[in-house]
Parts: sequence; structure tokens; C-alpha cells
Amino acid sequence: MSSTATTRPNGLALFILPSALLFTLFFFLPIGLMALMSVLTGNPVVMPKVAFTTRHYARMIGDPFYLEVIWTTIRIGLVTTLVALVIGYPLAHWMARIRSRTGHALLLMAVLAPMLTGIVVRTFAWMTLLSDKGVVNQTLISLGLISQPLKLMYTETGIVVGLVHIYVPFMVLTLTGVIGRIDERLEQAAENLGASPLRAFIEVTLPLSLPGILAGSLLVFALAISAYVTPILLGGFQIMTLPILIYQQISANFNVGFAAALGIVLLMISLLLVIAYNRALGLVSGQRELQ
Amino acid sequence: MMKALGPLSRRRFLTASASLGIGTIAAPYVARADDPTLRITGWGGKWGDIMKAEIGPAFESEFKCKLQIDSAFPYLPKLQASSRSAPIYDVMHTNSNEQWAAAEMGLVEPKIDPKLVPNLADVYPYAISDKIVGVSIFTSAIGLGMRTDKGYNGVTSWKELWDAKYNGVRGGYVIPVNSLGQAFLMMCGTLFGKGQTDLDAAYMALEKLKPIKIVDFTGAMEKMLLSGEVGMCVIHDSGIYRYDGQNQPTDFVSPSEGVLSLEQVLTITPGSKMKELANAYVNYMLRPEVQKRLAETVWYSPANKKVKLDAKYDAKLLTTPEKVSKLIQVDWKWYNERKDEIDQRVNRIFRA
Repeated sequence: MSSTATTRPNGLALFILPSALLFTLFFFLPIGLMALMSVLTGNPVVMPKVAFTTRHYARMIGDPFYLEVIWTTIRIGLVTTLVALVIGYPLAHWMARIRSRTGHALLLMAVLAPMLTGIVVRTFAWMTLLSDKGVVNQTLISLGLISQPLKLMYTETGIVVGLVHIYVPFMVLTLTGVIGRIDERLEQAAENLGASPLRAFIEVTLPLSLPGILAGSLLVFALAISAYVTPILLGGFQIMTLPILIYQQISANFNVGFAAALGIVLLMISLLLVIAYNRALGLVSGQRELQ
Repeated sequence: MMKALGPLSRRRFLTASASLGIGTIAAPYVARADDPTLRITGWGGKWGDIMKAEIGPAFESEFKCKLQIDSAFPYLPKLQASSRSAPIYDVMHTNSNEQWAAAEMGLVEPKIDPKLVPNLADVYPYAISDKIVGVSIFTSAIGLGMRTDKGYNGVTSWKELWDAKYNGVRGGYVIPVNSLGQAFLMMCGTLFGKGQTDLDAAYMALEKLKPIKIVDFTGAMEKMLLSGEVGMCVIHDSGIYRYDGQNQPTDFVSPSEGVLSLEQVLTITPGSKMKELANAYVNYMLRPEVQKRLAETVWYSPANKKVKLDAKYDAKLLTTPEKVSKLIQVDWKWYNERKDEIDQRVNRIFRA
């Protein structure tokens, strides 16, 4: 009798069927195909003789240029994440603690406002500011502070500036939710016990907001390493990142296999980061590690 | 005997209105449901505008078909991903380097049959030369673009692009993705080495071109030249001449060593189910009147020898055998066979 009860399908499970189907069709299947393409000599749909190969990965490992591209991508992601955190944390803390509802609404609007404009438009706006004939250089030249334009564009710094502007809202919104849930009385208790506000923040608020820091950082890093438009426009093709290289392989070299291998590497970087995030989250929150 | 209509009830009025509305919206689709569709590629901008407004509708009307134009570049990866027996395009319009890559992959037919495209008989030899897959319907001359308000006078040679006075205002292309950049690399081999295929000489020359601002599309280079961000650059003549009459301080220089050819090439896909219509389209695009209209809109040099352009265009575009003889065509087959190796090298050269 009991076995009949346990094998009866749960009616509620049917509700997740559409999303499971969607996830399989548009997430697992494309990634699976990409992984397959990365180890094939060609496209089996249009080529009659296709074999398994590791040449795409061997090419990547064998040529230091590609390893440098991978490191550049990670470096840009890390710096963007760090700067977004430094800018975003105080703002998120302010938003979480502000008493005035109007003030909170205004801050929220200020954080969300840049997101109402497309990434391309925002990047072009940065180009008008940072280019040799841009606002910054022309102002400095007209004030006599410099004679030659500063190299603000076509550098990693230029890319990081653009990316930080785009991804700070993601950091702020993630952190605000976490900081907002921290009981303020814990900070007050610390101060009552003699801690300065700074020490109370460092020893109470900051550790409790670590899950938010990790989640926001994970989000910003993943978005930054997969960004295409901003690095290509502000880097002027002189800073090569993985997404640019992938596009180049697809659009100009028509080498889908190598592009797929590069895509898998990009995915692996993100995956490793998620695993590290889960471990770190488990450690800081004292919970068991996610299996 | 006619049956008298009953009184107009609200229900009958609403039904009739809805039917009329749906009918009006659906009528063009229903009427054209049986029209064959020719799927082609094409550029945006002024080319796209005139194709949508004039050239395309005239073709549709004459050949009782529908023209479906994809102007979302890149085209070749999309064709590559589609089935060989049911390709996404019937006619592919793109630059010569990509057409060669497509032909090597068997995605387009290497040649157009002159019996099916009679206007092929009237094109300049370069348009169907052994350096061309399909047929080049137009060409632009790749040379130097310069600002005329910066005192850069007397420019006559490609080699002047290496002059140190252009440091900081020199413009070029992302060679792995841009035809002009790739053609220019071959020109570097000619200028500083034994010929187009002297890659070592070309790489050394490119090293010496730095600092250089590089872009992926000619449209971006046009904007940089217009804004003064760039003062001297590699560009095609159409990219300068299309601003004719706007009083822009820019000019095109045809270097004495010759201009490179940037061909607009049409090819037909082997798996197309619309072969007859595809050939008719290629023939139509080579008609003198179509060539003239497009040439005078986008400043491309027509491939058809019989085209007579207005004096303003005739003076600047390549419209005579003498002018056309200045064109240097690139061996794209040779280039594409080495593209990976070249890309790896130039990516390193231009890395910041």
C-alpha cells in the first residue's frame, strides 16, 4: 500500500515541466552541442566525414597568445568586479539603511537609471568622453594641463571604466538585499560593548554581508568576462578578450570548432568560479557545502 | 431576384467590421502567398535604403516574386550553419574574401553561367577574373583617406602612411575581420617586399605602422575621419565620396602604386531551389540602369562597361578600361589558406 503511495507522481511536479523543457532545449542542448563541436573536426550536419579531435584545445594550449587572451579576460573581470564592489558596497549600505522611503526610492532610481539605456549607447557615451577628441582630453588640452591627448581609450582601464558603469547596478542590487536583512541591533550591540562604528562594521556587518559580496561579485565577474560590446568599442580591438576572439573565429574564420572550444573554456572559468563561490559561501556561513 | 438585407444589428456590424479589418491586414499576404521568395543578402545604410525603396520592389514587380533581404552581417556563418540542400540564402552578396571562403566550403557556386546571365558579357574583365568567385557587380577603390584641414598636402604614395607625422591620427582595420585590412596587408607585402605574398615584409611594415587606431568596419573609419579622430587612413573611395556635397574636410587619394579592389560579389548557392530567379536577380543587378542608379547612390564603380554615369560620378569612379586597369586584385584563395596563421600574427602585432 505504502509503495503505491510513494510511486504516485506528484501533481505539482508537472508545473516544473515547462521550465525544465525550456532549460533543456535552450541551455543544456546548446551547451552540449557546443561541447561536442569543440571536439569534432567539422560540422557533422553538413560534412560527411567528421572525426573526434583534440586539436582545438591543443591549439589553445600550444600557443601562448590564447593563454594571454584568457588571462586578459580574467584580469579585466577581476578588476571590474573589485572596482564595482568598492563603488557598490557603500551605496548598497546607504540604500539598505536609509530611513526615508523617498530617499530610498531616489537612490534606487539613481542606481537603475543607467540600466534604462542600452549597453551600446552607454559605451558610445564613454567613447565621446574618453577618445582623443573626447570631452575629457579636449577639456584638459583647452585648460593647458596637457599638450597631447591622454590614452584613455584602447586600454584595459578604458574597458574597466565602461564595464564598471554597466555592472555596478548588479552589485548594488544584490548587496542591498543582503545588507537590508542584517539586523541593525547586532551593530548597536557591538557599539554598546565598546566597539567603534568602524570596528562594528568590520567585525559584524561586513562578515554578515559576505554572501551578498560573493553573489554580487560572481554576477559581475561572469558578466564582465563574457562582455563583448564594451571591450570591443572601448578597447578598439587592441585588447583581445575571449568573447572577441570567439566572435572573430565565427564571423571571419568560420572555424566553429575552435570558437566552441574557446566558449567551453569561458564556460569552465565561470563554472569554476561558481564552485568556488559555493565553497566560500559554505565556509563563511558555517553551512554544509552544497552537493 | 435579390434578397433584401435585414436591419444592421450590432452583432452583424461587429462581425463585418472584424472581417473587413482582418481581410485588409491579411490581403497582401494572401495575394502574395504563392509568390516565390528569393532570399538574398545585402548591406544596410544607403545601399539598403535604395534596395528597399526602389531596386528591390522593381525586381519583385517584374519577376512576380518576393525579395527577402538579410542585412544582418555576418552572412557566411549563417549560410554555413544552414542545410546544404536548403540554404538560408539563394544569392549571397558579400566581399570577395568571404566569397572565396564560401566557395572553398562548397557553400556557393564558384562561377555564374553566362548563358543564364547574359549581362555577364558586358562586365569588365576584373569582375569575372580568376580572382573572383561568382561575379563582381561593383567595386570600390581602396586607397588613402585624409583630412584636408590638417596640412597633409602632396600625398601620392601608400608609403606616406608610415610617416611619423601621422602618429596618433593614423587609421587602419582589424585585419582578421575586415576585407580592407586584409587587402592592405597584401599591399604591404608589395610595397616593402617581393610582392603580395611576402608576409614577413608585410608584418614588419605593420609593426612600423603603430601607433594606429583600428576599427572593424569602414563605417566606423568614416566616422573617425569625419570627427578628426583619424587624419590619414586606409579607406575605400565610396567611404569618402558618399559625403560629397556636405562640405566635409576629407579627400580620397589614389596612391601611385595602384588602388586595391574591394569587390561587391554575387554568388548563387548550390542548394537553392530558386536557381532561375537567382540568375535573373544577378542579371538584373548587372543591368545598366540598375547599375547606374546604385552607383550614383552609394558611389560604387559599376562592373558593367555600358553604364554611363553622370559627369560628377564619372569623374571620380572607375568607369573606363584605363581607370579600371589601376585596380589591384587580391588573391583571396591564397590568403584564406593562410588566414589562421596571418590572424594569429596580426592579433599579436596590434595588441595594446
